[in-house]
Amino acid sequence: MEEILQVENLTKTFRLSRKQRKLEGGAAVKTAVDNLSFTAYKGEIFGLLGPNGAGKTTTLRILATLIKPDAGDAFIEGKSVVRDEYAVRSRIGFLTSELKLEDFFTPDYLFDFFCELYSVPTETAAKRKAEMFARFGIDKFAQVKVANLSTGMRQKVSLVISLVNDPDFIIFDEPTNGLDVLTAKTVTDFISELKARGKTIILSTHIFSLIEKLCDRVGVIIDGKLAALGTLEEIKSGKSLEDSFFGIYAAFKGGEEQ
Amino acid sequence: MKTVLTIIKKEFTRFFKDTRLWLTAIVLPGLLIFALYSAMGSIIQSVQEREQNYTPTAVVVNLPDSFAPVFSQMFELKEGDAEDGKQSVKEGELDIVMVFPRDFDALISSYSPASGQPAPNVEIYYNSSEEKSLTAFGSAQSILTAFEDAAANMFDINRPSEDVAYDFASAQDTSRMILSMIVPMVLLMLLFSGCMAVAPESIAGEKERGTIATLLVTPVKRGYVAVGKIAALSVIALLSGLSSCLGMVFSLPKLVGEASGLTISILTAGDYAALFGVVLSTVLVLVAIIAIISAYSKSVKEAGGLVVPVMLLTMLCGVFSMFVTSKNIGLFFIPLFNSALLISAIISGAVSWAYFLVTVCVNLAFAAILVFVLTKMFGSERIMFNR
Ligand SMILES: Nc1ncnc2c1ncn2[C@@H]1O[C@H](COP(=O)(O)OP(=O)(O)O)[C@@H](O)[C@H]1O
Ligand SMILES: [Mg+2]
Repeated sequence: MEEILQVENLTKTFRLSRKQRKLEGGAAVKTAVDNLSFTAYKGEIFGLLGPNGAGKTTTLRILATLIKPDAGDAFIEGKSVVRDEYAVRSRIGFLTSELKLEDFFTPDYLFDFFCELYSVPTETAAKRKAEMFARFGIDKFAQVKVANLSTGMRQKVSLVISLVNDPDFIIFDEPTNGLDVLTAKTVTDFISELKARGKTIILSTHIFSLIEKLCDRVGVIIDGKLAALGTLEEIKSGKSLEDSFFGIYAAFKGGEEQ
Repeated sequence: MKTVLTIIKKEFTRFFKDTRLWLTAIVLPGLLIFALYSAMGSIIQSVQEREQNYTPTAVVVNLPDSFAPVFSQMFELKEGDAEDGKQSVKEGELDIVMVFPRDFDALISSYSPASGQPAPNVEIYYNSSEEKSLTAFGSAQSILTAFEDAAANMFDINRPSEDVAYDFASAQDTSRMILSMIVPMVLLMLLFSGCMAVAPESIAGEKERGTIATLLVTPVKRGYVAVGKIAALSVIALLSGLSSCLGMVFSLPKLVGEASGLTISILTAGDYAALFGVVLSTVLVLVAIIAIISAYSKSVKEAGGLVVPVMLLTMLCGVFSMFVTSKNIGLFFIPLFNSALLISAIISGAVSWAYFLVTVCVNLAFAAILVFVLTKMFGSERIMFNR
């Protein structure tokens, strides 16, 4: 199996604002990601499973080069997210509910705009746009301002826009968070479809069913550390994912106390 | 380079396709200033006309023969005694009451200051809360003072004469001088508000709504985003400033009165070109400063608050330029302040190439540094992704 992502000893510590300090019990810093290492292979869906605040988003933001790790590095298709950020950015797609589209523009305009930013050739862009808009039923709304789209349609547009460059490596942060059931199904179906087309996907979630449905391999992340790593079957070890997760969680917390 | 254009194009589309936005940021400022100044001008004019046409009313007790011709021309003289008159002045029905001593003319011709006796006293009763009464009091007083001066005439200063012009300034020179004091401040403020109309929305707004992050995950260089935004915003701010200026230029003659000889043509084409150069470099500096503050802020509202000190500073540059007459070239190395000084110099007709070049280059260099800072900020996770 070809390694496409190597995460090596990633560590990220945030300095906390005064308000945040109170929430964190007075600590001035918070280690969101703590010496994290794992590998993902070409063509698989890798799931980062963990409770809220475990450091999933921070990890994925580092992979997407939006923030820099304090220590460690990660390589996507051999490119360092620390030193080669532009190469990484043009090779990946990053989708999170935190990235918003400007209300004023139409899906049509935004697709072209982002294609230009990714230097997608005009003809390829036009073909890709027709294909993707049809696939998600955006074509009927292509000239409607984002502000006037339904929430579900807006999320589909976000998804399509974040993949204008047709990347081989795609990062989804909580892909179904805040989506209605129908849109969520569209998205999960699409993730399977992407895998079938040979793409590599890393996604984060706290939803067990999503991991079970989609992922080939799973990293369990707790308090910024990797608590378990393996294929879905290895992680489940014969139990339901939920049961084995709480087993891992208890063992991790117990191990920390000693 | 193509990326910068893509970003500029997007900013323009955002702005010019939004009718409400360009109406409020470009059309409205010019119209408002034009309407405001024109209205102020016509109000001032009608007040002046009313004052000129109005003859104040007066009751004069013991009007001496020597004053009779002047006062009967200047005032509408009413019959009545002092006490009734004072009551009417109190009630605002009469403007003034003047009480001369009996036989005033004889009294003053026989009075000698050396005698130690108190001088004859003329009483003028008025009501300073009534504008007409106050004006009438002023005119009566100035006539009496002039009379008193003439009575002890030792010398004249600048005796009015048809043949001699004591003041060498032409009406145009005077208006250029006045304008050179006012315009830098007004222009800086107009440019500032032009920048404020667009920059916070485009940067703090995008940050607030999470749309700038979408831009920053693409392989676009941060520097291109910074340059593209600054360029687009500067053009828009410039248009907004231009609109305000046009409003001002066309309404100013109405404000100061057509007679003052104040027209657009007091400046030459060269002056206007120089003005445009300074204004352009100033807008770049202002947009860049506001952009940096906006990038630092978490919301448009916060940016609006943080920008206030800069606005005051800009205003101070305008104010100080009124008092600085020194042509020390060192002063032209201070960004923004140099703009105020140079605008003042251009309008008063005392500009030289050296000052112009220093000002524009200093501003451009300063703007370039600010764009560099903005680029760094766009790359800084603490600024773009903090909570
Ligand atoms: N910019 C930031 N400043 C301070 N603390 C942060 C920042 N981003 C994340 N954190 C903290 O780091 C921890 C991990 O956050 P995150 O990666 O968002 O977790 P998850 O996505 O797994 O819910 C949390 O405690 C969060 O409060
Ligand atoms: Mg998260």
